[in-house]
Amino acid sequence: MVKGDSNRRWRRIFLILAAVIGAYALLAPLTSLDAAQAANIPLLADRLWFRLATIIAMFIVMATAWNIIGGITGYAAFGNVAFFGIGAYTTGMLIAKAKWPFLAALPLAPLVAAAFAALVGLPLLRLRGHYFAVASLGVGVAVGELVQNIDYHGQAVFGGASGLFLPIYSIDNRGLFFFYLMLAAAAAAIAVTWWVLRSKFGYGLIAIRENEEAAAVLGVNTTAYKVAAFSLAAALTGLAGGIFSQWNVFINQDNTFPIEYNVQMILMALLGGTGTVFGPAAGAVLLQLLIQFLGGTLPISFDLPFVSETARPIVAQIILGLLLVGVVIFVPRGIIDFFGGRTRLSLGYLRRSLRETSL
Amino acid sequence: MSPQLELRDVTKRFGGVAAVDGVSFEVDAGDIIGIIGPNGAGKTTLLNCISGVYRLDGGDIRWEGHSIAGIPPYRIARLGIGRTFQIVRPFGSMTVRENAAIGALFGREDARRGPKEAFEAADGVLELVGLAAKAALPVSALTIPDRKRLEVARAVATRPHLLLLDEVMAGLNNVEIDEALDMVRAVHATGVTVLLIEHVMRVIIGVCRRAVVLEGGRVLAEGEPEVVLRDERVIQAYLGERYAKRLKP
Repeated sequence: MVKGDSNRRWRRIFLILAAVIGAYALLAPLTSLDAAQAANIPLLADRLWFRLATIIAMFIVMATAWNIIGGITGYAAFGNVAFFGIGAYTTGMLIAKAKWPFLAALPLAPLVAAAFAALVGLPLLRLRGHYFAVASLGVGVAVGELVQNIDYHGQAVFGGASGLFLPIYSIDNRGLFFFYLMLAAAAAAIAVTWWVLRSKFGYGLIAIRENEEAAAVLGVNTTAYKVAAFSLAAALTGLAGGIFSQWNVFINQDNTFPIEYNVQMILMALLGGTGTVFGPAAGAVLLQLLIQFLGGTLPISFDLPFVSETARPIVAQIILGLLLVGVVIFVPRGIIDFFGGRTRLSLGYLRRSLRETSL
Repeated sequence: MSPQLELRDVTKRFGGVAAVDGVSFEVDAGDIIGIIGPNGAGKTTLLNCISGVYRLDGGDIRWEGHSIAGIPPYRIARLGIGRTFQIVRPFGSMTVRENAAIGALFGREDARRGPKEAFEAADGVLELVGLAAKAALPVSALTIPDRKRLEVARAVATRPHLLLLDEVMAGLNNVEIDEALDMVRAVHATGVTVLLIEHVMRVIIGVCRRAVVLEGGRVLAEGEPEVVLRDERVIQAYLGERYAKRLKP
């Protein structure tokens, strides 16, 4: 709670950033993408960028949501993708099978995901450390398998292995619409985090992270707080899943329960800075761009030297892995640490970090 | 008047060992009582039973006339029983002030506050325990005696009616003990009942009105500190039979 010059600078940077994004968000819908394309404005003219921007916003939601349970509360949830999938299938089923309109089906995605989190959270959150991490990973995998394999009278309830097709949401500038929707979800996730870190609830969560037993004897209802944090993270993740299902039109186990999302959202939070408001978002932008760049799916790309096209995904994974090991060792508080002018990237910083993170 | 805290045949077993074995005594509101006994006598276990960290295997604990056996720690804290840990457990990423504020934010149910008032209350408590000048420091910058003070500050910030102190003077030198004694007296003067575990006899004689001696999980003696500490059984428990005989006039 030390409010110094650096903090003010911090705030100014983000106010400017928010103003730019806000102005853009307000002005952009006035023009459709077609107009931008006709004028040949770089980036805006490329539909691929919009798809990528939507995916980045989606990961901002997931990484920021994970931060609430993993970063602020200190419980390393490894199965949060379950909530993404549950959100996607809740909205997807309501639209495809029950013929609900999208905007009516969407609010149920976070609700169902949160309810599920509360249900599994009660037993799971009694476990600590690695035990919780492994158990939550198990839940993440199990839910995906269940959704694909539950049959009723020989009929796959949730579309089975062939997945679920949703009717296309008819609206002008669909891509733009879903981009803004996902961006709104990202803003909501960040706003929720901001509120949590200033509330009594957030202080209780941090106390649990720092020492659960001490928190309990000071009067923190640790079980209720942990379950609430888990459900809050699930609700936000489920919201992203709900938007994704209608945006992508087709959902199946592979695109709504990918195991690698579990790892990616955690790495994004770590890379950006756990426990902070903007860290996970910054990490999500950076890591997602990097993943796409190394994967060769960015509009801007170049060939990696000495790497054949077929070996590229593997090399990309290796580079990504090494980079992340480096970040965890040398920038343990995340890259957000370098914003705001409190610390500067220097050899001394790296040396201090190494001392901090190694035994 | 019924006692504020009443222990009736409190028993806690670990496997076959009864760490606390049928302990009964009473604590009146406003009293200041010392629990002493050799290592392994069950002092800390007893404290864990009162604060709800351990579930009882037998007996009952009554707080202000109601049983609190089997109630989880957070609810006992809300009823107005605060405690410290023998091995300090600060919230490492927080400042001294934030640590104390957590106690003020949560704590006793009918004394709860919002974040802003909690930080103001934390400042008051830090003043009381003598940490006001270090409020903005991170916990890692504190010395051992100061960490013990912080442990007390956090518990006091919950505004307890009863404060359980687990060896807050252990490992301190004589000057530091005097300072810590002043701190305990200052807290007690605000109207808090104090139950403290201590090894340092000077502390027990210095502040306690009554002492309870535990040995092997049972109450060995109980009474005024000066009288209890001259009790032959107590000397035996601490120093062994031979030494006790040699002390005899």
